[in-house]
Amino acid sequence: MVMAEGATVVRRNRPGTTAKYIQQNIRSDCSNIEKIMEPPEGQDEGVWKYEHLRQFCLELNGLAVKLQTECHPDTCTQMTATEQWIFLCAAHKTPKECPAIDYTRHTLDGAACLLNSNKYFPSRVSIKESSVAKLGSVCRRIYRIFSHAYFHHRQIFDTYENETFLCHRFTRFVMKYNLMSKDNLIVPILEEEEEEEEEGGQNPSTGESEA
Amino acid sequence: MLDLFGILGGGNGLPYFLRPGVFFNNNNSSSSSSPLLQAGGRGAAADSDGGEAGRAQYSIPGILHFLQHEWARFEVERAQWEVERAELQAQVAFLHGERKGQENLKKDLVRRIKMLEYALKQERAKYHKLKYGTELNLGEMKAPSFDSEEANEKETSGSLNNQLSWKQGRQLLRQYLQEVGYTDTILDVKSQRVKALLGLAGDGTGDRSGQEPLLNGTDTAPKGANTLSDSSSVLEAFFIESAAAEFSDEDDEEDSEGKEKTIVDSRTVSDDPDAEEALKDFDFLSNTEDMDTSPESRSAGDGTDWEKDRQAWDVDQGLITKLKEQYRKERKGKKGVKRPNRTKLQDMLANLRDTEEPSSLQPSITPPPRPNANRFNEHDSSHTDEVEAITFPPSSGKAFIIGTEEAMETGELGLGELAGLTVANEADNLAYDISNNKDALRKTWNPKFTLRSHFDGIRGLAFHPVEPVLITASEDHTLKMWNLQKTTPAKKNASLDVEPIYTFRAHRGAVLCVVMSNTGEQCYSGGLDGTIQCWNTPSPNIDPYDSYQPSVLRGALCGHTDAVWGLVHSSAHQRLLSCSADGTVRLWNASNPQAALAVFNENKDLGLPSSVDLVCSDPAYMVTSFNNGRIGLFNMETRQQVLNMESTVESGASCQINKVLSHPTLPITITAQEDRHIKFYDNNTGKLIHSMVAHLDAVTSLAVDPNGLYLMSGSHDCSIRLWNLENKTCIQEFTAHRKKFDESIHDVAFHPSKCYIASAGADSLAKVFV
Repeated sequence: MVMAEGATVVRRNRPGTTAKYIQQNIRSDCSNIEKIMEPPEGQDEGVWKYEHLRQFCLELNGLAVKLQTECHPDTCTQMTATEQWIFLCAAHKTPKECPAIDYTRHTLDGAACLLNSNKYFPSRVSIKESSVAKLGSVCRRIYRIFSHAYFHHRQIFDTYENETFLCHRFTRFVMKYNLMSKDNLIVPILEEEEEEEEEGGQNPSTGESEA
Repeated sequence: MLDLFGILGGGNGLPYFLRPGVFFNNNNSSSSSSPLLQAGGRGAAADSDGGEAGRAQYSIPGILHFLQHEWARFEVERAQWEVERAELQAQVAFLHGERKGQENLKKDLVRRIKMLEYALKQERAKYHKLKYGTELNLGEMKAPSFDSEEANEKETSGSLNNQLSWKQGRQLLRQYLQEVGYTDTILDVKSQRVKALLGLAGDGTGDRSGQEPLLNGTDTAPKGANTLSDSSSVLEAFFIESAAAEFSDEDDEEDSEGKEKTIVDSRTVSDDPDAEEALKDFDFLSNTEDMDTSPESRSAGDGTDWEKDRQAWDVDQGLITKLKEQYRKERKGKKGVKRPNRTKLQDMLANLRDTEEPSSLQPSITPPPRPNANRFNEHDSSHTDEVEAITFPPSSGKAFIIGTEEAMETGELGLGELAGLTVANEADNLAYDISNNKDALRKTWNPKFTLRSHFDGIRGLAFHPVEPVLITASEDHTLKMWNLQKTTPAKKNASLDVEPIYTFRAHRGAVLCVVMSNTGEQCYSGGLDGTIQCWNTPSPNIDPYDSYQPSVLRGALCGHTDAVWGLVHSSAHQRLLSCSADGTVRLWNASNPQAALAVFNENKDLGLPSSVDLVCSDPAYMVTSFNNGRIGLFNMETRQQVLNMESTVESGASCQINKVLSHPTLPITITAQEDRHIKFYDNNTGKLIHSMVAHLDAVTSLAVDPNGLYLMSGSHDCSIRLWNLENKTCIQEFTAHRKKFDESIHDVAFHPSKCYIASAGADSLAKVFV
């Protein structure tokens, strides 16, 4: 019953192999974002993006669990990051102003439904062209969880980030595949990177992000 | 010029110039004897005024004239005859071609019949073998190799089954024919003739001409019928003839019976003696082909001849079809008989020919191996799929080719439906077929719902005691609650999609097991993080996107220092029992989440526990299995180990036990072993009662139905098996779930009160069967 961690069996045709590959890389070193981001040879890009997004949703559960303790509907009545925007929850028939914790949960549940739905993603081996666009919208919503946590629950965010480097990875992921516009990337990850030089060999002059 | 003499006009038989009052003209210079003619003309003209020009006078010029005239007339007639002859020849050639086409058609159909018969025989043998455990003696059941000779052997081996099927076939055909309008006398006459021809009476080709009128007018059944030489062949010829006849003249058996009768009558009377005569002349053509290969001495060479013919005709088939159509229309004088089936049949055969080699058809007719006897229809579906990639028109083909009762049942809808059936690639669908084959008396489980929402493999399942609600525990750190009555319409295949109504988030690692209390109000989950979380189960009717209720999470039971692999809830005492990779089995008070009430095996004497269960027959006891293959029975009150079950593993070879289960009513413990076995132990003596190899890979999970009659086991070989506990036989097997990291099915469960079973897969899907 122990989860097998055998040698990497890379057989493209089998669904779920990409997920295995990603998980193995994460398990071995979650800070090595380069390696995790690098698709193996011959990997279909759509599938790669899809599987990564699944993995992000999976790992975000951990952040959500932590947030559940601190983020109460009384304190965080709306889903915000900075004072600029209020984010409406798209999981309802008409977009609703959910409290932050509800937004987080609904977004993650909604992402789970979408990414697992037969309609948009019937196969894990090839992704329909029409469904690739959905990935972008999922990324956008999920990012808001990061931004809310960063701006309102800084400690939780930091602890979690140090454990998993999830936000770093996510930011790199969306930038690499252009799933979100840079304007939306408000969590100052890259500036931190410049300062702290976390990543070895990181190019210091990569893009600018708004504080 | 000559028209002046009224020749071409046909006249009245009398040479023009002999008629009174006819003037000769000087303009005829075309004749070679024109000077003479002119002279005669002049001479006659001189007398013509009198009107008595040459009534009785035979002048030389006149005679010459007459002769020329006649000659010209004959020439014209000859020309006409030539034209007619050419036309007739063309017609004859056309008919000949048509006949050839018919022959080929018949041969194809016969081929098909043989194939189907063979397949049927195989199926019967299989069925018989399975049913009675013995081989059904069908005599030689060689695959038809399209040698008449071999076919003869096969046919004349004369087993009871064979005879019976033929009789049935004949009965069926008689029935059809009577509907069609053939009277019995005609049938008899025909069969007599056919028999005679086929040499059953020992005749050679003498009766061929006798056959002519019969076959001729039908423009269907080819002369080739007379090259078959057997009772079976008689039947074949018979129903090719009659069936092809059906096809050529009617749309459906049921329709337009009155019309059929007249058609048939007109047909049996050879309606064109001229054509018949002409065709007799062409006997030689058929004879050269068929005579060489006389019925009794058909050799393997026949196959190749046929091949050649086939190839020769491949090209022309389309043209011939067209010509046939034309000709038929002309002949029948546009009776308005629709011939869709005929064309379709032709197309079908054209396709058959084009797409398949005869030899390649043989292996493909063996249906895929199935553990059970198949219904004939089912066999046919696989056969049809493999052999014919084309779709047949629904009303054709099947009904007449197969002379069995089952075909009767399927009747018109037969092939259309069956052709539409596909042997799907997904392993899932195989299971559906298999399950459909089961004894109708027994309940067969069919996949109903697919639960998709987890991001990673599902490790545990628990059903709600009363509601149609399931909770799944997954490696993606969440548990999800599903209401099976809230399904979302899925676009394909029978499996409905369900979406979760609630997601439980609290674990910091994979969730490994989940149990529900006996009321369903609470549920408990154990995870890789070593915690057991207690939850208040939300209502099955909540909105999935409702506000967060912190009260759902009651609390965590902490104590274990490593992953919690097994959980079991005791309703009698409100206790919770858990086993963990830290080596301990802990007892908790379920209603009051606090420190553990009791800890067992703290010093890891017995190894690491892999699974626990409460002994249902005696609630004070619990049974634990260990990863070294040992099983221990403990008394929870005295906290002592009572019994160590006999583990029959040889020393040194420990076999991990993945799951231990206690029978609901009997004092039996059942274990699922890593070495593919399922073992049964007696609780009182600790002895091994029974052991069986259950799967092809490790058995990972067990579940017993609430009545204690059936056992369900899931394994990493991607299959779930249902066992009858009485005789320890496998009732049903499903193939479900894909492998991930060489793991497949982690858990299986029965619903305590409703008819559901569920399986949890490493592919992040849960499946529910009804």
